[in-house]
Amino acid sequence: MRADEDRLRTWMTGGLDGNAADHACLLRALVPLLTGFYRRRIADSNDIEDLVQETLIAVHTRRATYDRDRAFTAWLFAIARYKLIDHFRRHRKTVPIEGLEDALIDEGFESSSGARLDVDKLLGTLPAKQARMIRATRIDGASVAEAAAASGYGDSDVKVTVHRGLKALAQRIRGDTA
Amino acid sequence: MNTDELIDTLSVDVPAVPRGAVGLRLALGIAGGAIVSVLLIAATLGFRADLWLAMQGPAFWIKWGYTVSLAGFASFAVTRLARPDPGSLKRLRLIAVPVVVLAALGVGELVRTPRAEWLAMWLGHTWTKCPWLVLALSMPIFAGLLWSFRSLAPTRLRAAGAAAGLAAGAFAATVYCLHCPEVSALFVLTWYSLGILLAASFGALVGPRVLRW
Repeated sequence: MRADEDRLRTWMTGGLDGNAADHACLLRALVPLLTGFYRRRIADSNDIEDLVQETLIAVHTRRATYDRDRAFTAWLFAIARYKLIDHFRRHRKTVPIEGLEDALIDEGFESSSGARLDVDKLLGTLPAKQARMIRATRIDGASVAEAAAASGYGDSDVKVTVHRGLKALAQRIRGDTA
Repeated sequence: MNTDELIDTLSVDVPAVPRGAVGLRLALGIAGGAIVSVLLIAATLGFRADLWLAMQGPAFWIKWGYTVSLAGFASFAVTRLARPDPGSLKRLRLIAVPVVVLAALGVGELVRTPRAEWLAMWLGHTWTKCPWLVLALSMPIFAGLLWSFRSLAPTRLRAAGAAAGLAAGAFAATVYCLHCPEVSALFVLTWYSLGILLAASFGALVGPRVLRW
């Protein structure tokens, strides 16, 4: 279950309007996002938990700096990146500049997570079977035969389902941009 | 404390945040600092005796126009850089406009003034003090901005420090006009700008250290 940008944003604005329940929902939803972000960059699990907590506190105490008209995840990951750099600095860890570029590059992470959110959203609009088959064969990388075996459908059924699903998605995307 | 407990603790106290909270916080810091700077002038340098008269003429308003517009651009930069994702600062390039306008006025002055008096006009009576006084008067404002930043979230600390210094310097120069008797546009362009740049450099120098959170 990935809490998407819109949902996080709604909770964030709710919190900014003084709704404590929304704020709690937001912070809870951020835990897996932030854990994933730091786990990809740091090995020590204690450090990861510390950083997640520090980031949650920063999100809470500095929430006034979120501009309601702008993307929430961009704001969030800017804070997370800042905390990460601060962590490296505090621990006197030397990170080669080229490596740092890779580790901290923002567009890469944001666009990939953004793309994942988009894919999730789009797949959510398809019938469950089509979404599941597309996910298995096109995202998780299973072959048609593997997907067929895992789901109990026939090979050709899987192929047709994926094909129809992709066609529907393509139509939806064209509709979105028109 | 585990993360769930932390979240519970953080969710107890969730006051509403008005939309303009960042701007308000920065304005309070600047205003607080500027009041101290004005009091400093009153206590030490004194306001220029002919302030009321000067305010009837154009030279005073040219000076204020220059410093206030710089302060405006600097405040825009500070407001942006106070957020974790500052966005584009391209609009800051327009800061060249007041500089160019003042330079043009300075050229006009040169044309109207005999060559022999150019140096005297450029240096005025106070060129040795002016940049340093602007820098000194910017310190309370810079301190006010540091207070503002305590609840904000800059991530580009050197840039944020420089912007805060620039704003502090420009507001300090605005306040300094209440004392400074100089009238030449060239004087302002050189020595006021130098003081403002000193303040901005100071901000850039200390930013990474004092703005950390």
